[in-house]
Amino acid sequence: MRTKKLVSIIVLVLILLFAYFSYNTALSNFTLSDKNASYLGGIKFHRAASGLEESFQIAQQENKPIMMYFWAIWCQYCAGFQTNTLGNPQVKKILEEDYILVAMDLDIDREVARQYAVSYPPYLVFMDPKGNILQRVPGAVDADYLLPIVTKIRDDVRR
Amino acid sequence: MIPLGDILLYASLAVSVIALAGLLLKDLKNIELLNKFVTPAIILVAGILTFSYLLLTYYFVNGNFEYDYVWQYSSSDLPLVYKLSGTWAGQPGTYLLWVWVVYLSAAWLAWTTKHSTALARRTQIITLLTGIYLIILTLIQTPFKLIIERPEVVEMIAKGTLQPDFVPEVGNGLNALLVNFWMIVHPPFMFIGYATMTIPFAAAIVYLLTKEDGWEELGRQWTRFTWLLLGMGIAVGGVWAYLVLGWGGFWAWDPVETASFIPWLTLTGFMHAAALHRKNKTTFSTAAPILAIVSFILVLYAAIVVRSGLFNSVHAFGETSTGTLLIIFIVIVSLVSLVLGMRRYFEEPDKIIEDSGFWNKTNIFYVTLLLFVILAFISLWGISFPAFIQLTQGLKVGVASDTKNFFNVWSYPFTIVLLLALGFCLNYNEREKEEQKKILFIVIGLTIVTMFLRTETFYVLDHSSPFWAREPPFYKLIGNISVISIFPSLIYATWSTIQRLITYLRIESIKPKIKGIGIAIVHFGVVFILLGAILSSNFTQTIDRINIPLATKGELVPVGHGYGIKIIDFSTRNLAETKNVPAGAVSISEIYGSPENYVSNNVKISGKVTDVANVQSPPPVVYTTYMKINDGTYTDGLWAATQSDEPLNIQEGLELTMEGFLMTGFKSNSTGSPCTAVTPCDLIVFSSPEQITGGATAAGKYNVQSVRLEVYQDNRKIGSGVAEYLQSDGGSGTFPLVDSSITGTDVYVIFQGLGGGTVPLTLKIIPAVNFAWIGVVLFALGIILIMAVKTKSKDG
Repeated sequence: MRTKKLVSIIVLVLILLFAYFSYNTALSNFTLSDKNASYLGGIKFHRAASGLEESFQIAQQENKPIMMYFWAIWCQYCAGFQTNTLGNPQVKKILEEDYILVAMDLDIDREVARQYAVSYPPYLVFMDPKGNILQRVPGAVDADYLLPIVTKIRDDVRR
Repeated sequence: MIPLGDILLYASLAVSVIALAGLLLKDLKNIELLNKFVTPAIILVAGILTFSYLLLTYYFVNGNFEYDYVWQYSSSDLPLVYKLSGTWAGQPGTYLLWVWVVYLSAAWLAWTTKHSTALARRTQIITLLTGIYLIILTLIQTPFKLIIERPEVVEMIAKGTLQPDFVPEVGNGLNALLVNFWMIVHPPFMFIGYATMTIPFAAAIVYLLTKEDGWEELGRQWTRFTWLLLGMGIAVGGVWAYLVLGWGGFWAWDPVETASFIPWLTLTGFMHAAALHRKNKTTFSTAAPILAIVSFILVLYAAIVVRSGLFNSVHAFGETSTGTLLIIFIVIVSLVSLVLGMRRYFEEPDKIIEDSGFWNKTNIFYVTLLLFVILAFISLWGISFPAFIQLTQGLKVGVASDTKNFFNVWSYPFTIVLLLALGFCLNYNEREKEEQKKILFIVIGLTIVTMFLRTETFYVLDHSSPFWAREPPFYKLIGNISVISIFPSLIYATWSTIQRLITYLRIESIKPKIKGIGIAIVHFGVVFILLGAILSSNFTQTIDRINIPLATKGELVPVGHGYGIKIIDFSTRNLAETKNVPAGAVSISEIYGSPENYVSNNVKISGKVTDVANVQSPPPVVYTTYMKINDGTYTDGLWAATQSDEPLNIQEGLELTMEGFLMTGFKSNSTGSPCTAVTPCDLIVFSSPEQITGGATAAGKYNVQSVRLEVYQDNRKIGSGVAEYLQSDGGSGTFPLVDSSITGTDVYVIFQGLGGGTVPLTLKIIPAVNFAWIGVVLFALGIILIMAVKTKSKDG
């Protein structure tokens, strides 16, 4: 009897430690989005909640193209796409410096997704500062594919 | 007017209440007043619910789209079998299935026990209470809701846009991913499993409440049946995930896959506790019933996870309004069982006779139970706390940089300990204990040593994955363990199971022999499943982004790493096998498939405009309108162009039929053209404005593209078959080619739908995954043998 009680207590303590540790790890290392921003692939995106309009305004002021990224937490390909493609140093640099980035969570921003005819993640929609759609990139493409696109759109808008 | 289906549900509710009253009167006041109605009443409810399920099925087959649920999940162009499976594709239908099976179980219980004992009567009371709760749930989310009750339809009727007796002509149709054989069997397995769990749960509650003996015997066969069905349901879900690409492989720790796995783990724990409890009633007298109750609570929890929008999962097809009711149910059951469990625990007399010391059978079994609970908790916590954080703080968090990593890291060490316990327990013998302990310690030593073996890629976490770098140190610490460390315990478990099998084969008496063989087979199943899961997920070789031009049909195209693919044939079809292009028109996939037949000739195409670009040429001004036409037979559609003096008013979404001539490799110098020197259009149709007419016949809802191909390794054919891509209004699905060989290695090719004249493929070589499926079959076979013996002993 005593052995069982002892083992139970040890297991209970272990379980609590594990729960505490994993909870904090997730909060500090793996936050994907809060009310204002999404943090995907090491890049900070505006969240839809902070207003798409506002992003357009900033884009017009700074004369930068907009990249809207549609993702979902359950999307296996998104995780890889974020790490490999968006996280690619060259792509990341251009996106962070020359783009207004907005992330749309397909579980929350369904209306926006419907409006832009996006039905699955990952999906990129590129727009000029006025909101005209310049290009759509559906699916998890690799950095070699995306780099010329982000470069060209940036140059086109600047011109 | 209330629909017939709902009337049936109300009737079943009323009759259930009468039956419950009869049982309660008898039990509490010993009043016989309603007692003789109880059994017929319960059987009547089972009958009414059977009828209402058949009614729903009839509505699906017949296409009665005046019912919202039928409209949502069916469509007239679906094959019959998918119309049948549509009944359990959404939440209202699965609730009805659930409650129906609960009452079939209750009817069986009534028929076999006649409520002759207090235990049987009280078990039935709890079962009926559960059943009544579920009927109310079904009524709230009724599958018989009329479409004219939909808020948007009500609004349109009020505005006069729709007639008050509006009935849609076509259904919304099934999600493309559900149009698959395994999806026909997966939900019923799961929900029948959930439903049959009610009886062991009810018996356990009664036992905790009244200490009535015999509860375990009453629920035993139900438990085994539940375990079998839940296990098969999970396995079939795994097969489906493996065959329908989308979330990577056969087990991706999606919240819903995991949610149904959790009660299965605790149920496995319960079966182990019950095995000892059966022999000595004082052993696990609290742990066993608590595990049965916990399994039931987790089943309810799984139902919430499956059908609520909170857990972000590919399964979350619809949001629920009954989630709150299920949560209330869980809270009630948890509180009741907690109070009862505590009472029993402190009442428990401390005079249990056990072998002394730590190394006795009860203690080792207890460790096993705890391991099942730990593994269940890891999964439960992993899917729950992100939802909790989202709910309370509005933050979305991942459990690790790659979800799989969290579950793999934490489960791996405990899986090894579980295998060690399996090896030790299955062959436990009091007299040879010292000898067995020695063997165990050697295996533990070997396990620890092999954890440090350095290999190229064989770690708990994949070092070459981009996620590896972002994991926290502790995850890396466990992730750094070599997976070779699974083998000592796996071999030990196998050896022990073989020993056990031999012992049982020697037994003369037939019943224990069969049962023993069954037990051994189930444990072989564990070994096979783990072997298959670990080998396949660690040794899969993937070649991505293969693009083979359709023009190379019949030629062997090298794709790297010594592999080559030959495309034999390409074809398209409609799932309902109805023509989806107007007379004289050619399907776009057909044009891409053999452009040589059409180039420079007039072709007629028909479809929806998905993209438009108007381009103005330098003076003399001419306007070229580019339209991308999609007829649903081909992912990307086909560009068509026409020229005129003024811009044409062509909008996206327009249905067009047009005739023109087909050209290859077209490029334009004008800016704004989709066909530039950099990205020329492989194929384009030119027509004059007069050759364009509006309106095409509606394309079929489910179009399938099939590519037949052969896979070669070093010029030797290693696999062949058909890979398919299905496209529908509600999304797309891929059905890969899976060719297994006798060595257990699968050649797995995913086809993502024809695009730009090339066939995009992903080739995977997956070793040993078949072991996992063999393990599943062994599970089923073993438990059926064990169940068979019980039935015999009861009769005899």
